[in-house]
Amino acid sequence: MAAGTVMFAVSVLLLFAVVVFKWANGRRLAARQKRRVTYLKLLSQHVAAPGSTAEISIKEADDDAFIDALIDIRHALSSSSIDSLDGVIDRSGLIRHQAKRLRSRFPLGRRLRAVVSLAEIGDPGAARILMHHLKDRVPEIRVQSARGLARMRHTAAIDVILDRFHDETRWVQTRFAETLALFGRDAVWPLIAWIRVNHNYQGDGGVTEIIRILGIIGDSEVGPALAELLYTAEDPEVRIAIIETLGIIGGPLALRPLRRMIQSADWRIRAKAATAFSKIGDPSINPILREGLGDQSWWMRRNSAAALASLPGGIDLLYEAIGAPDQFTRDAAAEALADCGELIAARDRLESGKSDPRDAQLISYMHIPDPVTS
Amino acid sequence: MQNEESNKSGLKRILVADDVEAVTTLLVTALEIAGYEVVVAENGQKAYELGTTGEFDLAVIDQLMPGLLGTEILQRWQGEGIDMPVIMLSGVEDDDVVVGSLDSGAIDYVHKPFRLPELMARIRKNLS
Repeated sequence: MAAGTVMFAVSVLLLFAVVVFKWANGRRLAARQKRRVTYLKLLSQHVAAPGSTAEISIKEADDDAFIDALIDIRHALSSSSIDSLDGVIDRSGLIRHQAKRLRSRFPLGRRLRAVVSLAEIGDPGAARILMHHLKDRVPEIRVQSARGLARMRHTAAIDVILDRFHDETRWVQTRFAETLALFGRDAVWPLIAWIRVNHNYQGDGGVTEIIRILGIIGDSEVGPALAELLYTAEDPEVRIAIIETLGIIGGPLALRPLRRMIQSADWRIRAKAATAFSKIGDPSINPILREGLGDQSWWMRRNSAAALASLPGGIDLLYEAIGAPDQFTRDAAAEALADCGELIAARDRLESGKSDPRDAQLISYMHIPDPVTS
Repeated sequence: MQNEESNKSGLKRILVADDVEAVTTLLVTALEIAGYEVVVAENGQKAYELGTTGEFDLAVIDQLMPGLLGTEILQRWQGEGIDMPVIMLSGVEDDDVVVGSLDSGAIDYVHKPFRLPELMARIRKNLS
């Protein structure tokens, strides 16, 4: 009985504490939102009328609502319009304040908030502190530091990030790779240099992530340099990553190394090369893809057929392949024609009386009743 | 359509419609400093209703808002014979969105994030 009473009393107290906490937190958030709106107006005055005398004091630098407002205004404006905000950031001592929070050992939440604020604000004044924290003991802080440096296009960080790659976990490597993409063309040749040195690195070195970033950046000038690595890369995963990237940025200069890859003993490499051809879009490769329709690997047959469906003159070759002696070739060609809408188009032509013999051949191969004679 | 009220007070009235508070606050501040009267709509439905009052000389509308899209608002206004210059704002860099906005009746199109002086210049030009 006494235990029950105690339990009941404790439950009531806990419930009361939760209600009070929620009420207090609600008030705190409402007050913060109110301050944020005030700061938005203040910062807007500084942007709309540079040289505004509206005061921003050093205590604002400590207020998270001010930082939120500053970040929101920065996101609304293009980079050439935010010069007036630089003065605000300097006068409030915001960078100094957030750097101090970042340098503290605890609490981690405050440190994380400081690094995210510095990354989002993207002020070049924070570059030094973010460079230092690329080596922080906390992985998320390293990642956010890299992101901030990429947002401010601080290119000195590229080599530091690449140097750290092998020592990082897969998760951090992925985030670092995404960050390197933010540097854009500035990162391209450092990435190529790194890939040249590390493309045969033993172990999980993140090489494939870095190679794919070149595809995201999309600078076709590195196509030949990347294509060379196909001859020296030993790991099939690295070759696959290079082939995929060449499909995006390689252009016609990538055709020769890719032709070699389509003869590879590894079916994955052959299949990826077929897909890369379709992305490059050069119809001179059609005969090779036609041969690929008879490959022993289903993926190679499928990718070759899909590539032919997207290349000039490829549809004609697929129709021809429906009459091939080998069933695998016929199936691959017919499925690709169906996938690209030719089957529906053939039925429509047949129904409207404008078909040709290949329409009937395709329809009968796919075992669909002839809509005219049925 | 000339706004009788703005003729009386001499101030042009501008409707700003965007669901992002930072954008509306920035534009309101900049436009008021430049001497315009500004009314804000936080969603598409409110923007459409305010536009039908005929009290505005120009509207700056975000393409993507809760309620109605910017292009939908323009189409409705056109259907009701509301002839007001509209500048479309959008964060989407897509030719279809740009063309769709201009085809729907927008007189100008500005990408977000925008350059504030450029946007102000376009507003002045389209009001003159």
